[in-house]
Amino acid sequence: MPTVSLSMIPDLTRAVGVPRLAGIGYPMGRPLGRPGDADGQRAVLRAVLGLFETATGPDAYLELPFEWPESPAQARNASQGLPPPPIVERLRRKPWLLAALYRGEIPRDAN
Amino acid sequence: MPVDSYRFLDFASRQIMKAWAGRQEPGTVPFTPFPKPLRECTVALVSTAGVARNDDRPFDQEGERRNPWWGDPSFREIPLGTTEKDVRLYHLHVDPRFGEADLDVVLPMRRLAELAEEGSVGRPAATHYSIMGYLLEPKELIETTVPAIAERLRDEGVDAAALVPA
Repeated sequence: MPTVSLSMIPDLTRAVGVPRLAGIGYPMGRPLGRPGDADGQRAVLRAVLGLFETATGPDAYLELPFEWPESPAQARNASQGLPPPPIVERLRRKPWLLAALYRGEIPRDAN
Repeated sequence: MPVDSYRFLDFASRQIMKAWAGRQEPGTVPFTPFPKPLRECTVALVSTAGVARNDDRPFDQEGERRNPWWGDPSFREIPLGTTEKDVRLYHLHVDPRFGEADLDVVLPMRRLAELAEEGSVGRPAATHYSIMGYLLEPKELIETTVPAIAERLRDEGVDAAALVPA
């Protein structure tokens, strides 16, 4: 099955390796763009699918030219009011486990 | 401007992702050639936003709260025509409110249908898919979930799939 991947962290996706990759400088949670911005979303999807016709071999990479209209601080502010993910709560209690994650190990402590 | 992979990430996530990217061993990347013009292809979308229909089983968030190193590796089918009114996003690491306000932010089925209407895509698949992307240990995803999705895509005559992160 031919696939194309979009990524907001293309550095990591390229390191893993995918057949066709489109990198985009958008924040997590909004890969296609802002809610209600149909034109912007369509432009992103069109560019992503376009890679099917231009990529000639594995590791094909295209950086999409779209710019997010907010600063990182503004984008983070838009996501306030959510509880932290469970792993963040665990790491606040046991910050030494962060070292294992850096090494790519899963700590698997019981609680 | 070049894409900065780490611009929108918090400090800890940025450091971890950079460390992971730096440690990946280069391997052989599979490449399935594209069979025919996009305007003749049936295209499916696969989202990692943890999208599940309200009449379907939610992704297991309680399991992750009990064991934060674990994520639900299963998948959900999302039929074409499903909208934000019909779903919830079950991803504890991504703000679900954007995709729940407008599902096309994470699973652009309406945008895909529009590209088909204008003729640049053949047709949208009848069924699209979602997994929940927080999976530190990808064994079950790779060995069970992905083959199951791929089998369904082939059964439904899909020619190509676009993977959308969250």
